[in-house]
This record gives sequence, C-alpha cells and structure tokens, in this order.
Amino acid sequence: MIPAPENVPENIERILFTEEQVSARIAEVATEISEKYRGRDLKLIAVLKGSVFFLTALARALTIPVKIDFLAISSFGGPSNGPTPGLVRIAKDLDEPILDEDVLLVEDIVDTGFTTRYLLQTLAGRGPRSLGICTLLDRSVRRIVQVPVDFRCFEIPDRFVVGCGLDHKQLYRNLGYIAVLNPERG
Amino acid sequence: MALLTISGDPASRWEEVARGAAQLLDFELVTETRLAQWMTEEFGDTPIPARAWASAAVAVLARLAREHPLLIALDGSEHLFRPAAWLLRARITTIDAHRAGNLMLDLRLEKPDALARLRELDAENKRLRKTRFSRASVDSAAFDLTLNLARTDAAQAAEMLAAAAQKRLGDQGLLSPNAADEIEFETRLELAKRGIVPARRARVTRASFGHPSEEMFANLLDFYRIHWEYEPRSFPLQWDKDGHVTEAFTPDFYLPEFDLYVELTTMKQSLVTKKNRKVKMLRAIYPHINIQVFYQKDFQDLVFKYGLRMVASS
Repeated sequence: MIPAPENVPENIERILFTEEQVSARIAEVATEISEKYRGRDLKLIAVLKGSVFFLTALARALTIPVKIDFLAISSFGGPSNGPTPGLVRIAKDLDEPILDEDVLLVEDIVDTGFTTRYLLQTLAGRGPRSLGICTLLDRSVRRIVQVPVDFRCFEIPDRFVVGCGLDHKQLYRNLGYIAVLNPERG
Repeated sequence: MALLTISGDPASRWEEVARGAAQLLDFELVTETRLAQWMTEEFGDTPIPARAWASAAVAVLARLAREHPLLIALDGSEHLFRPAAWLLRARITTIDAHRAGNLMLDLRLEKPDALARLRELDAENKRLRKTRFSRASVDSAAFDLTLNLARTDAAQAAEMLAAAAQKRLGDQGLLSPNAADEIEFETRLELAKRGIVPARRARVTRASFGHPSEEMFANLLDFYRIHWEYEPRSFPLQWDKDGHVTEAFTPDFYLPEFDLYVELTTMKQSLVTKKNRKVKMLRAIYPHINIQVFYQKDFQDLVFKYGLRMVASS
C-alpha cells in the first residue's frame, strides 16, 4: 500500500519499496536464513540504532529460535578529543561473549563497507564458530572495501535513502517504507 | 628524537594498533613498505644483504628520527636500538582463537584452515626474525610494554600505547643530536665495512593533499583504521614515438590491505569526463590494477550522512 501523499514527509522524493514489499522480501530472506541455520544456535547481532527495526522484523519472520544482542560504535564526525576524528570504537559492547557461536551481523545498509569491515573484524576476533552478514539494503555501487554479504533484501541505487531504521539527522527511522530523500526540499 | 617500536603476533592486528597510536601521537608511521622505500632512496636499488639489513635500517631511522618522532611498526623492531630512555618498545599479542578468527574473516577460511595458516605465518615470522636479527623466537625481555588484545580492542590499545609513550618519552627526555649522530656513525661505519655507502638521503614526505575533500577522505580512512598511501604511483597511459611518457594517471589513494586504488572526483562534469577517460585507459592498459572511482555524489552523501561541513569543490 502506498501511503497517502499527505502522510509522506515533504522532502521524500519517491518511495523505493513500499511497506508490503519490504515485509515480503524480509520474509523470503528469513526463510533462507532459517534453512541455513536450522539445528544450530544462531545469534543475531544488530548495530544500534539503524538496524533495530530490521532486526525486529527479521527475527519475527524466522522459523528457528534465535538469540539477539546489540552493539553500537562511534561515528565519524561525532565528538572526538582532538583535531582529527579519532578512531572508530565500540560505544556499546555486546552483553554476552560469542565464542563458538553462529553469528549473523544484521545491518540496515552496507555501502562503502567501512563500518561493516570494522564490525566484522571486531566480531571475528572473538572466536565465533561462523560469522555472516545480513543486510536490509546493499548499495554495492558505492563499495570501496569488499565485505562478504551473505543475505541481502534489496540492492539499491546510488541515492540517499531513509526509512526502516535509516535516518537523516535522526529522523525518518520509523517510516515503514524505504524512500529516497531530497534534503533540499523542505 | 623519540622512538616507539611496535611488533606483534601475526594476525593479531598489531599493525592496526600501530596506526592508531601513530595518529594519536602524531608520530611518523614507519611500515615495512615505507622503510623499504627510504632504504632504496638512501642506498639505491642494490639489495642490502640480510646480515646488514638492521644496520642499514638503523642508519636511516636514526637520521630521520632527529627531525620527526617515529613509530616503527616492524616485525623485530625491538632489536633495532639498544634500550634507552628515549625508546619505548611495545609488543601486541592475543590468543590463538582470536588470531584464527581474524584469518577466517580476512581470508574467508574455515577454522581448521585458519589455524593451519596461522602456523605458517608464525613460521614465516620466525624465519624473518632469524634472517634479520639472528633470533627466531620472541624474547619478552626485549619489550618495555606488552598489550594483550584478547579483552582490549585496537582503539583502546592504541590509546594505552600513546599514553605510555607520552609519559615515557615526555618524562625522560629525548635523544640528544650528539647521541643520534653517534648511532648513525656506528651503523654507517658498519655498513661501510661491507661496502654499502648511501647514494642519497631519504626524506620524510607527508601527504600534501590537492583538495580538501582528499584530506577529509584520508581522515575517514584513518577513522576506520584503513591503511592508505597518497598518490604512491603514476601509471603511464600514452607514449610518443621515442617511448617518452606523454600522459600518465596518478590515482589519489592506494589501500594496500585491499590492493585497491581510489580516485576521488569532486569536480565539474567536464573534468569528470576527462578523468573517466583516464580511468578507462588505465583499466585497459593495466587490467590487473583495481581502481574504484568515488564521485562527487558519493562524497556529498558521505558528508551528508556524517553531518560534516563540505568544503566547496573546485
């Protein structure tokens, strides 16, 4: 269902994927994940804040039992102690160790690959049994650092998108659809 | 002169800690590649015999360290200089499960294969140490500080190292120019006995960015602990009938870890078209070279995403 125009924020340029399309695709990917990890103990790890919406939808669509955990990292352009941006670091760590567990990193979007690479390196160093990536959106056209994406819901064009957890200045995460944002409007 | 040497277990990601500490301290980072370039500048293309390698390295480093504090990130670098107040020698280690995990990710290996590769890397490391320093095993007494990454991430380890270096090197003073001269003289004499004489003098060159966006991109790579080199290589694209290069292309960045060149284009469309043509030629002439073009649109989105202030593009 396409939302009524009066319910679409002014600077939304167009809707890429409707709420129904998003739900249907997440269900498909959840089936693939359930099949792959059936009989194993899967832990989903989501990165705060953007991936929370996707994690929730994905976990509910899975047909196997899963554990969940969260972490957060500092962002480039965020506060630092000096003239340079400093180094990326864990702002909120996992609550439990992941040694010898099957771990699936749940991302809202993979684009340059910088963030995902850092997260994979951080998690790989903790000795999981396996480590995979599931992303809601993949903007591979923008990739600089190659990262192995195991499950993706949508490949998207080189545009700035919001909704389903993705934000602009912390807004629009709660949109049920995925839309292209034009920041110059409104 | 202030020196910090760092080495570590293979696949422990000690190089990442070294990069972070160099950034925090504003020390020049000396990697294997950078030292090799300086040694070639200084001694020419003739390979330095393995037994003279350490002396040649010290001769170059002692002279450069008089003008720039150095962070030397090399296997076995703890053996380069005698223990001194102006020197801090650090080692990075972690448990095998973590090192294997890192290899599983980097090389896309299953755990048994990663453990086997780890054994190979350890053996290669021992061979290198034996060749250069006549010591195959790591001697824990040769370090002032050892950090274990089992429960500390690379950023925290970099901060600890930077704090230790500031405390040690700040409290206990720097090496005097006379003492640096002495080290340089000793090592050059040793080299002269082997017939190795410097042809030129290597210099520390810092990246001088052609555009503010390049500096911002370098900051972004630093933030994500991705090692980069700025304009390290030019690729000839066209030659005249006498074989002289008439057109060349120098990509902005090289990311050694990924063997990838990155070209930023934050210019007007006509220049983008010209640059695209060069990238196309480069791909045709050098098909084994990986290059990624980062367009103005991509860059604006990054700036937009991170809420940074974009510098007007030319």
